[in-house]
Amino acid sequence: APRGASLSRSYIMNTFKHFAKTKVARDVYPVIMDIVQKYFDRLADDLEAYAAHAKRNTIEIEDVELLMRRQGFVNDATPVNVLIEKFLPLEYRKLLIPVATSGNKVIPKQRR
Amino acid sequence: MDEDAAQRQRLKAAVHYTVGRLCQRVAADCDKEISKMAIAAIAETTFRQCDIFAKDLESFSRHAKRNTVMADDVKLVARRSTALSNYIQRKSEELASTNQEQREKRKKNAVKRKSTDMDINTETTED
Repeated sequence: APRGASLSRSYIMNTFKHFAKTKVARDVYPVIMDIVQKYFDRLADDLEAYAAHAKRNTIEIEDVELLMRRQGFVNDATPVNVLIEKFLPLEYRKLLIPVATSGNKVIPKQRR
Repeated sequence: MDEDAAQRQRLKAAVHYTVGRLCQRVAADCDKEISKMAIAAIAETTFRQCDIFAKDLESFSRHAKRNTVMADDVKLVARRSTALSNYIQRKSEELASTNQEQREKRKKNAVKRKSTDMDINTETTED
């Protein structure tokens, strides 16, 4: 994959510091960057394989869910929605978790 | 529940036995000895790894909208390690070809049997 696009430095460092809960030296950044790059490379590879396995050309939510299950983030005790609630800001939650409103309308439209 | 535990113990014993045999062979090959503890540890690891494999295979086959685990799912489980996935690829091709051969043989036999049956029939009718 081309090594151009990536997340911004401040975003990655802020996220890392948030979870590390300690002081983080500046020279940690290139290492984290390298790991993030490798993570995304592998992620893309896996998602491609999973979509091909289901005979699709498009990566869909099921593929990502399967990936997270294999990564151990999603299991029987913690479904995806719990992770979404825990880690994503409200505007993304609105997109991902279906909510029933009046007239039994479900927003966003439920798949299948 | 008790029945379940007993079944589990039987499975573990079977795995332990096979692991022991494999370890013996490996030990003989490289002129080293493997302690009983090591064998037991490998057996336990194998048992737990089977648990992981089973869950992965189940989710893969469900992902492809199947209820049956097929060779493709197994390949997907082993995809991460190149050597292993090459090995599995080769094995699955071998299996597929032998299956095909057997099927063809069976077909041929069936045809033969049918024709001999017919021969017998015609002979008997002639008589």
